[in-house]
Amino acid sequence: MSAAALTTRPPDPALLAWLGQAGEPPTSADEPAWLAELRHDAAARAPDQGMPTQKSEGWRYTGLSALIEQGFKPQQKPISALQSEDLDKALIDGLETYRLVMVNGQFEPRLSQLDGLPTGVHIGGLAELIAQDPDRLAGQLGQIAGAGQHLFTSLNTANFADGLVMLLDEQVQLDRPVELLHLSIGLDEPSVAQPRHLVVLAAGAQAELIERYLSFDQAPYCNNAVVEIRLAERAQLHHYRLQQESPSAYHLSGLYLEQAAASRYRGINIGLGATWSRTDLVTRFLAEQADCGLQGLYLAGDRQLIDYHMDVQHQVPHCSSRENFKGILHGKGRAVFDGRVYVARDAQHTDAAMSNRNLILSPNAEVDTKPQLEIYADDVKCSHGTTVGQLEPEMLFYLRSRGISAPLAQRMLCLGFAGEIIDALGPEPLREQVTEAVGQRLEQSPL
Amino acid sequence: MLSVKGLKAKVGDKDILKGLDLEVGPGEVHAIMGPNGSGKSTFAHVLSGREGYEVTAGSVDFNGQDLLGLEPEERAQLGLFLAFQYPVELPGVNNTYFLKSAVNAIRKARGDDELDAVSFLRLMKERLKVLHLNDSLLKRPVNFGFSGGEKKRNEIFQMAMLEPKLAILDETDSGLDIDALRIVAAGVNALRGPERSMLVVTHYQRLLDYIKPDYVHVLAQGRIIRSGGKELALELEEKGYSWITDGEAA
Ligand SMILES: Nc1ncnc2c1ncn2[C@@H]1O[C@H](COP(=O)(O)OP(=O)(O)OP(=O)(O)O)[C@@H](O)[C@H]1O
Ligand SMILES: [Mg+2]
Repeated sequence: MSAAALTTRPPDPALLAWLGQAGEPPTSADEPAWLAELRHDAAARAPDQGMPTQKSEGWRYTGLSALIEQGFKPQQKPISALQSEDLDKALIDGLETYRLVMVNGQFEPRLSQLDGLPTGVHIGGLAELIAQDPDRLAGQLGQIAGAGQHLFTSLNTANFADGLVMLLDEQVQLDRPVELLHLSIGLDEPSVAQPRHLVVLAAGAQAELIERYLSFDQAPYCNNAVVEIRLAERAQLHHYRLQQESPSAYHLSGLYLEQAAASRYRGINIGLGATWSRTDLVTRFLAEQADCGLQGLYLAGDRQLIDYHMDVQHQVPHCSSRENFKGILHGKGRAVFDGRVYVARDAQHTDAAMSNRNLILSPNAEVDTKPQLEIYADDVKCSHGTTVGQLEPEMLFYLRSRGISAPLAQRMLCLGFAGEIIDALGPEPLREQVTEAVGQRLEQSPL
Repeated sequence: MLSVKGLKAKVGDKDILKGLDLEVGPGEVHAIMGPNGSGKSTFAHVLSGREGYEVTAGSVDFNGQDLLGLEPEERAQLGLFLAFQYPVELPGVNNTYFLKSAVNAIRKARGDDELDAVSFLRLMKERLKVLHLNDSLLKRPVNFGFSGGEKKRNEIFQMAMLEPKLAILDETDSGLDIDALRIVAAGVNALRGPERSMLVVTHYQRLLDYIKPDYVHVLAQGRIIRSGGKELALELEEKGYSWITDGEAA
């Protein structure tokens, strides 16, 4: 029996459902040939990749049975029940953005705000662009993710309906952040949305991208999102990702990043929502002096699993990467951190550091943290550190001796711990929103 | 105000306080002196409700309330304040936010309205001046990276903000330079009043030149073994503790 056979199993009915009844993706006749081929290849690959089992290293602590049991099905029709009043609830006060809104995986131009974009910038819906200019994205879309880390990327490639396309010409700088807002509304039939996004910054371009996931109700649904990002020479992207799905949601997200010489990426991942979530952050350096920072904050409580997997590939010399994730676990919350940094033999002068620190507030909470440094070059600067600890009784006493109640003292210390990551979110309204959300979560949930 | 009777406390199976008696009246300032390891900080911690100490006998009455049955925050809300010998660093917890939470928690417990941002800021500015504290410290995390002296001054600043009824100052003078000592003492003196009592733990007579105590006590081996007026501190400065403790042991 091959190794693959041990760690995956044949596609089951749930998987087939995701792929469409016949196991063939829903290609429309209008789609260009390159896209049909992309989808076809992905669909063909999916059964080989198979449904991961907990025997495979990357899924050891993240069981898929709950996800499979939900029997999510691809969505049939776009939903347009959402009104602009509903949208107001989802917006962040004081945050001025170019906004692209997706509702259950479909671009919603009515709710989006893309007026006044400077020249040299294209921001819009994926399906729309493919319809208008069928070959514009040929050779780009799907190329960064490739086969992806696992089956779910292939499922997205085979089935995606829509998403964001953000293309910046050389040297262009955006005057406002771009906001990619995913709104989900529960349907009678539990459904899966598979948004697909492509962000390409040409040489020297600079932008901020805010990617948010929100729900309007408590019905179960699944998001299986894939984001592909390519940064050309000296391009810079600040990317803020806020996963605030409802407590019954399932969330899969794959970020595939390719960085050319001297490009700079800063990703701040905030994971607060969903009952089950898995995020893969995959970085590949194409040339020297590229710099990638991946930061994150996750907060997992009762009936919650939050999983972050990283794969940072140093294949070329003189690049630097930082992974800095912090977690707060309470109730029966569970989290998984797997930070992998691979340094190839030729990647001399790599500078890589990885850190994962966790605060466990309850004896029933659990985190499985695994820093992996695989180094084959001999002249590198690499470090890693992980900690799992509790709130310091001394600090709690200090606060309480000032009249502050024990629960508030705990919250203040947790927010203090999380502050380092929250402060890295550029726009102030975003920092305030996340601080408030974390504070509220800690206030409402049993510690 | 404060009445401590026959207080015994231990840590693990080590007896530290061994029958401590102390009466503090309103507006009085009591100095507590005593050799290293005699139990001064332990006494301060037991009064403020720190975990890890087991009270095995005695009672503590604070304005008619049994202090020992209360949580630390309830004691603070009743007007007890401890200036720590070793103030704790709170990484990531902003000093201003911390102070505002503390002031308002105490006001709320007393039935007063919470201070709004403007009045809080005004109060803070006013109290800062008295302690000659740089207001950049307010934007930093509580005590984090503060110098030893800054930490001590920050304790007294907190006291000025919280306006306690009984303040326990545990070696607030240690680690302060001469100018800082004067400033801190002036800050403490500014808070003296007929309704505010203080327990000043110190090793040095010098502090008592600035903060003039009404009474001086010697705490040794877990008990108050000698009490007197200001002159007792001078005598201790001159002769050390052995002339009392030896007599005690004999
Ligand atoms: N957590 C603890 N575990 C064991 N022993 C302790 C603990 N806390 C205090 N002690 C012991 O209790 C005794 C009294 O300590 P305490 O800190 O109260 O002394 P102190 O009078 O404040 O001394 P100093 O003048 O040096 O500050 C010391 O012998 C100390 O080692
Ligand atoms: Mg002491």
